[in-house]
Amino acid sequence: MARKHVLAALGAVLVLSAAIFASSAASKPAGVVADDPNNATLTYWYWGEDDAPGATNWIKKEAAAYQTAHPKVKIKIVIQSTDTLTSAFTTAAQTKSGPDIATQWATLPVLTPAWNGSSVAISDYVPASETKNWIGTSENLSGGKLWAMPQYLLGIPFVWNKAMFKKAGLNPNKGPKTWTELLADAKKLKAAGITPFGMGNKDGYGGAWFFSLIGKQNLNSIDELKAAMLGKAKFSDPKFSGYLQVLADFKKAGYLNSDVASISFPQGLQLFGQKKVAMSWVTDGNVTAAAKALGGAKAMGVGPIPKWGKGKLASSYDTTQSSSAFITSWSKHPKAAAQFLVFLHSQQAMKNWYAATGVFPADKRFPASLVTDPIAKQQLALDLSPVSVWPENFVPPQVDGNADLAAGELITSGSGSPADAVKLWERELAKWKAQHPDEFKNYTKWVSGG
Amino acid sequence: MGFAFGYPLVQVVRESFYAGNFASPIWVGLDNYKGVIADPEFHTSLLNNLKLLVAVPVMLGLGLLIALVLNDRIRGGRQYQAIVFLPYVLPATAIGIAFSFLLQQNGVLNTALRSAHLGVLAQDWLGNAHLAIVSVGGLVVWQQLGFGVVVFTAALLALPPETAEAARIDGAGWWALQRRVLIPQIRPIIELLTVIQVITVLTWVFNYVYVLTSGGPGYASSVMELYIWRSFSNGANGTAASVAVMLLGMASVLIGLSLWVRRRAVAT
Repeated sequence: MARKHVLAALGAVLVLSAAIFASSAASKPAGVVADDPNNATLTYWYWGEDDAPGATNWIKKEAAAYQTAHPKVKIKIVIQSTDTLTSAFTTAAQTKSGPDIATQWATLPVLTPAWNGSSVAISDYVPASETKNWIGTSENLSGGKLWAMPQYLLGIPFVWNKAMFKKAGLNPNKGPKTWTELLADAKKLKAAGITPFGMGNKDGYGGAWFFSLIGKQNLNSIDELKAAMLGKAKFSDPKFSGYLQVLADFKKAGYLNSDVASISFPQGLQLFGQKKVAMSWVTDGNVTAAAKALGGAKAMGVGPIPKWGKGKLASSYDTTQSSSAFITSWSKHPKAAAQFLVFLHSQQAMKNWYAATGVFPADKRFPASLVTDPIAKQQLALDLSPVSVWPENFVPPQVDGNADLAAGELITSGSGSPADAVKLWERELAKWKAQHPDEFKNYTKWVSGG
Repeated sequence: MGFAFGYPLVQVVRESFYAGNFASPIWVGLDNYKGVIADPEFHTSLLNNLKLLVAVPVMLGLGLLIALVLNDRIRGGRQYQAIVFLPYVLPATAIGIAFSFLLQQNGVLNTALRSAHLGVLAQDWLGNAHLAIVSVGGLVVWQQLGFGVVVFTAALLALPPETAEAARIDGAGWWALQRRVLIPQIRPIIELLTVIQVITVLTWVFNYVYVLTSGGPGYASSVMELYIWRSFSNGANGTAASVAVMLLGMASVLIGLSLWVRRRAVAT
């Protein structure tokens, strides 16, 4: 009898809950909430610190300043971590709930949510008179619309420690220009008891950078990589996968830090500034941080990535807008979100950004006169190189996570050969097509100009 | 009950026959299952779960031994018990992060080994594909050990003291007393804990793996839960659901088996 009562009570609770849900849903249909740009609560999933140390403090200060100027707007900044940046948003997008503004890396991580209806085109909310000033918007165009706002330029220069070069009997003012020169320098550095090159790859991003910086160098255009993603060219072709052997040889020669497989990518970025390695490639923001630690331009050299391949992209530089901000399709305040994003491109916000990070805003209105440091001037010149591309942006996020990152880990941990890594790439490309027929269709359409 | 437990289960099984996202699912029949069964990463993940089962007898054996020693009312026994139990109450995520620094190639453990002229023992605990899953297993044992000690200690304290007293009067030594008198009396608890720990290492090791190695290098330390998470976070819901169904099937078989063993033991 008692059991019957309990069951009846549970049933009543369920019916009541369903009724409450139904009535609340009926009383708040989508679109009824007014989208007042000056009266909204926004949640912003933000990422940037690993690219540009100081970014997190900057966004918090800007949000505070914006709220002071707009008392009815509340902005909640939720900091995201590197290794879950894509997966966390993909998971949120499954249920169409989460932030009003999200951060993703440029191109496919931005366009994939756009294609599956998780974001709205920012060009629908921000006038062209504003977006024309943003740099790198071509990375986030699809279907004739712009899907995200670039915040900063992320250049990846090659850096070397002059004192260590001198100690190894090398010319401290001449960094390697080709891969052959780099290997020769590495040999001398190793002989002098110095760890030649530093990076972290426990999470796979070190290997992914190797793919973007070295792997692209046999390509004549990024369209060739897109064709490989679609299966129109074989990834096993050394044109695409040759970089894996280079990485394997580099590791085998003992030119990488011994803990490359057990430290994270952000930890690896710190090695150069900590004087633990003689050479590395780091983000603009980390160059600034390293320069402070090492003693400025006199102590370190900055230049483009040494040339390895023979394709046209071997001469391209490596700048991307890196992280891009976009408005989610479920946000009830897209106008308020867009207004805040535009505020982040205001003169004052950009000046604050540069002062906080030493990284250049992705905006033509940023006054170059603010750049006075000799290393920073070099970086800016490199970042504004006419041809610049970041191949990882063109790899579908699932393939990037499951193949690009994992393939490098196989090599740096010594647990797999380049051939194993190539098989992994091919397997994951096939898996992506089978698991995401819709994404594959959209990618195909995008490649053909859609 | 049916709504709370039945509905999600039915949904997971249903989802395992579809590809694409929740909004526009595409019927693929058994393709998700076929894809998973043919996937080497899934094989590695499954094998790693099986490898981690080795941790169960280690946890139980050590836990039982410590509990038996503490049961002898040794001086400071309660303090020792608290120390052993402490890791169990710490969040697995925090422990994972701490160990991910301790176990790096140039981390605290290896630095200490090198300082003690034991450099030969210093290994790349997280970066070596063969050792990564061993490191995960070690961490699971380290944290779960305290739970076993507490459960076994409680079981031993609940035993009537007369039997042990009688055995002592009959001249039983320490080892004979434990083996022939005390351990047989707490056998049902040992069996129960075995089942709990087997289920733990099959379905509850995600935190450790995710924080310590993220399943790497490559997929060397991936487990089924991580495989499910990775699939889901890639938007491959159908694949994630099909592995979840398989995992549920395996756990159900194990629970059924343990119940059968229990019934048989009671009957005999």
